[in-house]
Amino acid sequence: MRARIAHGALRLLPLFLVLAAWQLAFAFGWLPKWLLPAPSAVASAFKALVLSGELASNTAASLARAGIGFAVAVIVGIGLGVLMARVRAIELAIEPILLLIYPVPKPALIPLFMIWLGIGNFSKIAVIALACLLPVVVATFNGARSVDPVLLWSARARGTSEHRLLWRVVLPAALPQIAAGVRTAIAIAIIVLVSSEFISSESGLGFLIFSYGGVGADDAMLAVVLYLAFLGYLLDRLYVAGLRRIMSWHAFAH
Amino acid sequence: MRYGSGAKAVAALEAIDLDVAQREFVTIVGPSGCGKSTLLYLVGGFLKPTSGSLQLHGKPIAGPGRDRGIVFQRYSLFPWLTVAGNIAYGLEEQGLPRAERERIVDEHVRLVHLEGFKDRYPRELSGGMQQRVALAQTLACNPEILLMDEPFGALDAQTRRLLQDELRRIWQRDTKTVLFVTHDVEESVALGTRIVIMAARPGRIKEVVTRGFDVTDGDEFDANPAFVDLKVRIWRSVKEEVEAARASGASP
Repeated sequence: MRARIAHGALRLLPLFLVLAAWQLAFAFGWLPKWLLPAPSAVASAFKALVLSGELASNTAASLARAGIGFAVAVIVGIGLGVLMARVRAIELAIEPILLLIYPVPKPALIPLFMIWLGIGNFSKIAVIALACLLPVVVATFNGARSVDPVLLWSARARGTSEHRLLWRVVLPAALPQIAAGVRTAIAIAIIVLVSSEFISSESGLGFLIFSYGGVGADDAMLAVVLYLAFLGYLLDRLYVAGLRRIMSWHAFAH
Repeated sequence: MRYGSGAKAVAALEAIDLDVAQREFVTIVGPSGCGKSTLLYLVGGFLKPTSGSLQLHGKPIAGPGRDRGIVFQRYSLFPWLTVAGNIAYGLEEQGLPRAERERIVDEHVRLVHLEGFKDRYPRELSGGMQQRVALAQTLACNPEILLMDEPFGALDAQTRRLLQDELRRIWQRDTKTVLFVTHDVEESVALGTRIVIMAARPGRIKEVVTRGFDVTDGDEFDANPAFVDLKVRIWRSVKEEVEAARASGASP
């Protein structure tokens, strides 16, 4: 346990070094204030954001949007990926559309979604869902498609019917790949969330960044950006820790 | 039996004519690429023959079935199930009640000497232990026929010898019919009461040899002159095929 804590601290060392260099550069006057606010200024802005309750309420608004979009993407994505892997006609119909949408920067679709779905939460959630959907579908499709035929044969020889194979073998065998796709979707959810809140929003962490940046409150803006980075990191760690518990049978690379 | 279609189709097997009696232990030996695994997959019902027929008790083989259990070379365990879960798999699919399943699982865990490993996952086991689990998983379903596709091929020599002894003992106890594919000539003689030698390209049966003596495990049967003679004879026959395959430009 102590070794693990020491190891964890060691991994954070580069971050502390960057932080220390930043503060020193400011203290020696190498870093003009208009270029980058001091870490101490960012820290006190962060404290003010916490105390006013502004951070908590906007975090809640953001997490609700991202959470709903992400959840829809995971459910639809796994379903669609499995269907594509099992039914050739569905694969042929959907694959070219997916490949076309995949490289499009999803925030670029926000104006279009607002025309279709209004400027409220609905269009934001829809864009987040679409962006998160793609890595989940692709991972599920690849995972379900690349199940070792030996496992399928093995199950068939032990009495598993063709249509039960999906639950008994295909999905569990594809789970490591699906889990990796979902992990990508977590990061994408945060990226697209913030972009969507830049545009005509009255709440959320993206809105905070945009409005503080707009009035030149760089320290508060940066505080929210760093907070977002930490939030994303935390969500990813929690997800991976949860996976390790649930999927203890799988050898994780990291 | 052909792979692919049209001009690119490769005849994997041709003119195979083999009758296997109940309770026989038939080993199939031959150079790589002679289609010995294909033959096994046909019997398993995983592949369909392009011509000819396969029959089990006079009825054509339509697909995989619980009467035929298969053990693959490796990586055939379900990685998300524990040792006990893997062994219980076929029993769950049969809908056996829990108490019954547990009894059969425990019995088979003991049979393959994996007491204490019931709750481990396949990735935590050595190759030899994984193959023991695969054997137990198949035996637990109590199939009439055991199909074995080079099940010990990826193991080290000592482990292989131990597992051969275990398999022989299980076969003597349960007297199941076994079809065992191997590229190891010694293994084919050590296990098979009848040894089928196959030739490559197209895969066909070259020779069928009946082992005229008993092999009992534990002792040094491999020093028995009759064993050595048969081994040498079969090796010569297989070697001709390996050389023929090499001359025709195929691997190795």
